[in-house]
Amino acid sequence: MAELVREIMIDATPETIWPFLTDPDKHVEWEGTVAEIDPRPGGVYRVLVAGEFQSGGEFVEVVPMEKVVFTFGWDQEGHPIQPGSTTVEITLHPEGDKTRVRLVHRGLPDDAVEQHGHGWGHYLGRLAVRAAGGDPGPDRRPEEAG
Amino acid sequence: MYAALKALAEPRRREILRLVWAGELPATDIADHFADVTRSAISQHLSVLKEAGLVTERRDGTRRLYRAERDEMKKLRRFLDEYWTIGLERLRDVAESAQREKEKH
Repeated sequence: MAELVREIMIDATPETIWPFLTDPDKHVEWEGTVAEIDPRPGGVYRVLVAGEFQSGGEFVEVVPMEKVVFTFGWDQEGHPIQPGSTTVEITLHPEGDKTRVRLVHRGLPDDAVEQHGHGWGHYLGRLAVRAAGGDPGPDRRPEEAG
Repeated sequence: MYAALKALAEPRRREILRLVWAGELPATDIADHFADVTRSAISQHLSVLKEAGLVTERRDGTRRLYRAERDEMKKLRRFLDEYWTIGLERLRDVAESAQREKEKH
């Protein structure tokens, strides 16, 4: 089993960041196009990424302004990373006026990377645009994005 | 990288990769695994995977043997890292913008 850890410093308070994690309307401002989010243990976490890839899971732990833990997978028949099979933990650590956001994605099978490649191939293009200093624009279906 | 991601978008090619992940297999064994797919279609899938650098081919007499190229998969792993990095950068952008709005009022 493998895990990914990512951190970023955000010039905003946990109170400002929190709704972007737990309010579906705010969530789609940064990830996904349709989100169904019920932030309480056992509540649903479903985000439609790039208009076509349905991620799904449920909340395991919710500590307001501090932490969300939800299970995560792809809602496609036969997909080896099924909803609920991996866990994403996002924690908020205030540091002065800023907040350090830490994301840990646990339980990834070591050989499942190719499966992610399918759902996330779309992002490679966005990454390339961004790496070149451009703005990839809102997250849309690959065919719409041209 | 684009070739690899495109190659992996096809479910049968992902299935082939799983088959040859643990060890080398001849093309005939791979084709036998797919009852509903013609040998020429499997051969085509193997070419795509090979061109994308995801499998390597070795000849042994008239047989062709394939195995997964794990180093290439590691590159895809790095891509997955980038997926979350981009997500968090977008979160930062929208949260910082919301923070500035709050401070104005």
